[in-house]
Amino acid sequence: MNFLVQTLGTAGATMVVGLIGVMALVAVNALFLIWMERKVSAHMQLRPGPMEVGWHGAIQTIADALKLLGKELITPEEVDRPIFWLAPIVIFLPVLLSFLVIPFSATWIIRDMNVGIVLILAFSTLAVLSILMAGWSSNNKYAVLGAIRSVAQNVAYEIPLLITVMSVILMVGSFKLTDIVAAQERLWFVLVQPVAFILYIICATAETNRAPFDLPEAESELVAGFHTEYSGMRFALFFLAEYTNMFICSALAAVLFLGGWHGPFLPGVVWFLIKVYAIIFLMMWFRWTFPRTRFDQLITFAWKILIPLAFANLLITALVLKLR
Amino acid sequence: MLSDTIQKTLASLNLEKVAAGDYGKTGYHVEAAAQPDQMPAVAQTMLDLGCFLESLTALDLKESFTLVYHFANFDQLCRTVVHASLAKTAQAPTISHIYAGADWYEREVYDLFGIRFAGHPDLKRILLPEDADFHPLLKDFGATQENA
Amino acid sequence: MLERGLEEKTFWLNLGPQHPSTHGVLRVLLEMDGEYIVKAEPVIGYGHRGHEHMAENRNYHQFLPNMGRVDYLHALAFNQCYCMAVEKLMGIKVPERAEYIRVITAEMNRLTSHFLWVGAYLMDLGAFTPFLYCFDDRENILDLLDRLTGSRLTYCFYRFGGVPVDLDDEFIAGTRAFIQRLRRRWVDYDNLVTKNIIFIKRTKDVGVITKEQCVQYGLTGPMVRGSGIPYDIRKSEPYSAYPEFDFEIPIGENGDVFDRYIVRMREMEQSLRIIEQALNRLPEGPIMAEKVPKRLKPAAGEVYQAVETARGEFGCYIVSQGDIKPYRIKLRVPSFANLSILPEASVDNLVADVVAILGSMDVVVPEIDR
Repeated sequence: MNFLVQTLGTAGATMVVGLIGVMALVAVNALFLIWMERKVSAHMQLRPGPMEVGWHGAIQTIADALKLLGKELITPEEVDRPIFWLAPIVIFLPVLLSFLVIPFSATWIIRDMNVGIVLILAFSTLAVLSILMAGWSSNNKYAVLGAIRSVAQNVAYEIPLLITVMSVILMVGSFKLTDIVAAQERLWFVLVQPVAFILYIICATAETNRAPFDLPEAESELVAGFHTEYSGMRFALFFLAEYTNMFICSALAAVLFLGGWHGPFLPGVVWFLIKVYAIIFLMMWFRWTFPRTRFDQLITFAWKILIPLAFANLLITALVLKLR
Repeated sequence: MLSDTIQKTLASLNLEKVAAGDYGKTGYHVEAAAQPDQMPAVAQTMLDLGCFLESLTALDLKESFTLVYHFANFDQLCRTVVHASLAKTAQAPTISHIYAGADWYEREVYDLFGIRFAGHPDLKRILLPEDADFHPLLKDFGATQENA
Repeated sequence: MLERGLEEKTFWLNLGPQHPSTHGVLRVLLEMDGEYIVKAEPVIGYGHRGHEHMAENRNYHQFLPNMGRVDYLHALAFNQCYCMAVEKLMGIKVPERAEYIRVITAEMNRLTSHFLWVGAYLMDLGAFTPFLYCFDDRENILDLLDRLTGSRLTYCFYRFGGVPVDLDDEFIAGTRAFIQRLRRRWVDYDNLVTKNIIFIKRTKDVGVITKEQCVQYGLTGPMVRGSGIPYDIRKSEPYSAYPEFDFEIPIGENGDVFDRYIVRMREMEQSLRIIEQALNRLPEGPIMAEKVPKRLKPAAGEVYQAVETARGEFGCYIVSQGDIKPYRIKLRVPSFANLSILPEASVDNLVADVVAILGSMDVVVPEIDR
């Protein structure tokens, strides 16, 4: 550690160590989340889920990952090669970089940027680009259809997401994530802004392409949507990116509404992780309960219902703050 | 009674035979026999009486074909069967412009028996591959099993 | 100023023949304008096995197992229809106890068919959990029927003149227990599915079928009952022991996909009523008619028999020329007509709606292909 500090400076060293830690976290998180998804879905469906490999199937994911590693990386002939290869990388990098500003506890944060929130929101938009790249380069009608749906969906749900986040920012007065968490020392924002919380959860579910908004991957209609042509490790990267994105969105929810790492008795990190995984559990609960919305209903819901609601919430927040 | 109405109306079309059926033995209330060319008129009559086309099939009677049309009614129970004798090489007129459901039934009859329907919008095979060159329900199409 | 004429072209999309929805080997050629359907053309015949040809080359008894393979989901009703048709041709009378047993088992089979439909349909729409709930309930029924008939799916249980195996006390007790259990489950299904706003929005006012279309295409079953036509062979042309039971025919109003779903759910409840009444009034007596010949040689003639299966009206048309093999058997299957309305019902709808409409038809492709 000292050697690193000497060569790169404190900030640089923190970044290197942080990034390594983040990559480890992402890997473990994905492993855990896939297992959690399978167990949650199983128990909701009156069945036990993976039970063979490890205690209650705990290392099932590793077995699956090993299998995926051994798969042939098939690149169909007619694809647009550079874009085809880049797409999984482009979807993964921004999500990874968003970890830079997430405050796991009062001291565990890689880089406490002044524009923390803006960074995360900007990076999450890049995911749309990669989905379009994947769908277009696959040279496959189903993939293109999935990509088009995904772009429309992500763009439509970005807007209420941003506006909802703005309502919270208005109350705090800063883009810094640590400031937002600090402002919730007495009272979590979910109690002050319940509408914003609900809106945020809905938009986050849509942004991460989770059911009931999982049209881009709609299995029963479009085979596998935008990642139809991807196999093996590349497919695994899309999967990984989806679960990591879920983590980021839930982390943001915890930071914005649930008081970040605040909580009695246990250390901050533990509380933070509990909150994040609670929100992830909520998203999984949605997936296994609701059917899929139809595409035009999805878009209508975003533009005609969520955006006006988000705007109203913002206006009321501004009014209340002004009148204080 | 619907069966009486059907019998009367069909009788006015000058068909070869219109009679009450023995429901207990055959399951028909009205049995009729017609020329294939009269079938569009028969179909139109049945449609006007509110009946639907239940089934359209054919029998290969070695010397000739017989087209068998089954009609039924949603509101009142009345099963009507119309047999139409068709020469081996003749074409039958379509009724798909009267009953939209007849489209697929006629394609099936063509597919399995080789009977062509004049005026059908798109008479192509429906069950067998499009390039098959045989009609399997013809009696001289080789049986694969003698097992009685 | 340069004016570029952009030619708007439609593109063709293939739905199937292999696709994740459990419809069977069905291919639908979709001509699409963006997300909207311009033309939908079902291509069938991938599973054509020549059942009608087989019928001409086997004697009547040998053809019995084929009926279970035509529509494997409601095999007992198909069995029943064929047996009744041959019994009509031969003039055989089935004893009352056998008729009751036939009704009980056929209605239980109807329940399993509808359960599979509900599960698979909701999976089409993206809800994965109800599938497992439905299969859980279905397993109860399959276990009971397995004990009695020896099969779980492709039943060949009825014989000409009756049934070969009688119900025992364990079967009756098991059936009563499962009826109680199922009645408690309806609440779950109602809450999880019927009252779910996403489900309602996906299915209301989608795929509306008018009464004229029902007549034009010869639709039967929940397709027409959803559109408000109370046509059910069990009531309009009662057969077997059905006249003795008190049950209703649920009908819908709008003829949309939601109505067809509700009709099938209500039909399941009515099936439970029928089974209960049949169990309560099960008469004593023989289960097979006497003196049914081992080699049937019906007199020359033809017969048409229809029953109400889970999908609609199944008609068995048998032509005999006095031989031990039938001259012709035509299987008038409900899904054939029900599927033929897909082109007209899909035009100007979204792809997702086509999946919803196709699912609501409850098509079993092997019965279309025979």
